[in-house]
Amino acid sequence: MQGLALYPFDPPGDIAALRTDLRAWLAVNQPQDDIVAKANCWASFDPDFSRALGAAGYIGMTLPARYGGGDRHPLQRYVVIEELLAAGAPVGAHWIADRQTGPLILRYGSEEQRRRYLPGIAKGELYACIGLSEPGAGSDLAAVRTTARETAEGWRINGQKIWTTGAHLSHIMLALVRTEEGSERSAGLSQLLIDLDTPGIIIRPIVDMAGHHDFNEVFFDDVLVPPGALVGERGQGWRQVTAELGLERSGPERYLSSHALLAAVIDSAGPDPDTAVAMLIGELTAEMWTLRQLSMSTAAKLAAGEDPMIEASVVKELGNAFEQDMPRRVQAIVDCGWDDDTDLAKLLRALLIASPSFSLRGGTREVIRGIIARGLGLR
Amino acid sequence: MSAGRDMLCDTARAVFAEAATAGVAPVEEAGFALLLVPEEHGGFGGDWGDADAVLRIAGAMVPDLPVADLIARQAALLPAAVVSLMAGAMGQALALSIDHVNSRQQFGRPLAKFQAVQQSLSVMACEVRAVEAAAAALAVRLDAVNIDPSAAGFEIACAKLRANRAAGIVTSIAHQVHGAIGFTEEYALHRVTIALMRWRGEHGNDAHWAEILGRKVARAGGRGLWETLTSRG
Repeated sequence: MQGLALYPFDPPGDIAALRTDLRAWLAVNQPQDDIVAKANCWASFDPDFSRALGAAGYIGMTLPARYGGGDRHPLQRYVVIEELLAAGAPVGAHWIADRQTGPLILRYGSEEQRRRYLPGIAKGELYACIGLSEPGAGSDLAAVRTTARETAEGWRINGQKIWTTGAHLSHIMLALVRTEEGSERSAGLSQLLIDLDTPGIIIRPIVDMAGHHDFNEVFFDDVLVPPGALVGERGQGWRQVTAELGLERSGPERYLSSHALLAAVIDSAGPDPDTAVAMLIGELTAEMWTLRQLSMSTAAKLAAGEDPMIEASVVKELGNAFEQDMPRRVQAIVDCGWDDDTDLAKLLRALLIASPSFSLRGGTREVIRGIIARGLGLR
Repeated sequence: MSAGRDMLCDTARAVFAEAATAGVAPVEEAGFALLLVPEEHGGFGGDWGDADAVLRIAGAMVPDLPVADLIARQAALLPAAVVSLMAGAMGQALALSIDHVNSRQQFGRPLAKFQAVQQSLSVMACEVRAVEAAAAALAVRLDAVNIDPSAAGFEIACAKLRANRAAGIVTSIAHQVHGAIGFTEEYALHRVTIALMRWRGEHGNDAHWAEILGRKVARAGGRGLWETLTSRG
């Protein structure tokens, strides 16, 4: 059996300079007042930061210049993303638009859609949310029931999305809807790009167990969007969403978004920690190093135009487990009170509470393992 | 993979197939001890990527023969060599497990069709992929520093520790999905699982590398870890 070969991670250009410039930029521009925002940082919304980041050229990097993008190589973007995550930068506002909605519009969207949305995305001003989950369609995404009927004026949408992260702060939703009456499962689905200020859309908050308002439920009551809202091919929504999920699952955020906690553990341990703490740091380091190698190889494979569906799922599964275990393992070893007023305590508390979501968002652990099992030829 | 390495791997498979019954003699006769010796000293002038490729095949096919000692030639490289053996042995344990659950029928269907079995093998496959990535990344580092183990201390520690952690998970799932047949002397699974149990404790167990690595990282500080990772590739 041929083992896994690493795809060489070899971005063009001066990568050391790219890192140095971005670190210098972050030293000036990253807000430092909220330590908890550094944990799980791609859920931290900060539109001011996103705008500044966009103005500095670090958003929409791979989009063509004619749409306001940076014309950069995907692996240069990868370097920027991992630097932002490792620094705990609050990238949540633009995260989804930059990661998946922008690339999807570029790939499947009309010229009009590209001109209309991509420049705002690249500026860090236009935010997107993902319209996939519904009350009856969670892990079983093909059970989507929200409908869009074609009329003379455009698409008429009725239904409901749920668990929509950032809908209340976003300008657009890329939604998976059933456009073909009587269709079932993955057939008859299409993607619509919906301006969230369209009349008939109601967005209601769902407060999570950390007390945060990230989630929403989004209701569509006879919402009329123009014919040009269709993205890509009518009836091909399932195929397009699968490609979108590939982008969603393959990135370094699956192991790096809680790096602030590991850095805080190391800093609080000092240069000569006791043996148990030293061993914990060593174990977490070994896992993180390995995950980074896997993640970089997956990104390189994606950049080479291949489909790393299985590798991306492996990174997500191992990365989620790493991030979920880290706060638990830290709590087991490091003496730290629940209400302590230290950076370490605040990060630890925030991540212990946030961590159950890590193996739910972007595909549950069970779904991801099922994808890997299919790759192994078991189903 | 280069054409030269493909040929090397084909040779290794043929030689190890013979060695599986004949013992180490065919491996010695084939000159694998010269793999890393520079050409000007009469060797093959191979790099650690070559050693990694050969050792993975050895780990899968002849885990009980001292191929690592033969190739590594210096004690400081043995932990790295064992990581490659472990990657190969784990790949073999996974391949045997997949074959078994696809062919063994219970309750009227192959074991592979049960979600519980699928989920277990997914966990195992993730561990195997992680160790394969660790072995490959360690090889890249060693080749960037002319196979000087003292310049790859960070990567050796990371890779051996990660392989050690995976060993327990991989051996237990492989045996669990095999059922009783995997516990017999007759069936080939134990050749790789017993070897994995042995290698976890050799050339640095978990605690050994965790403490060395942890102290190294602690001295560099919280931000230093990220700088270390990104500067070393």
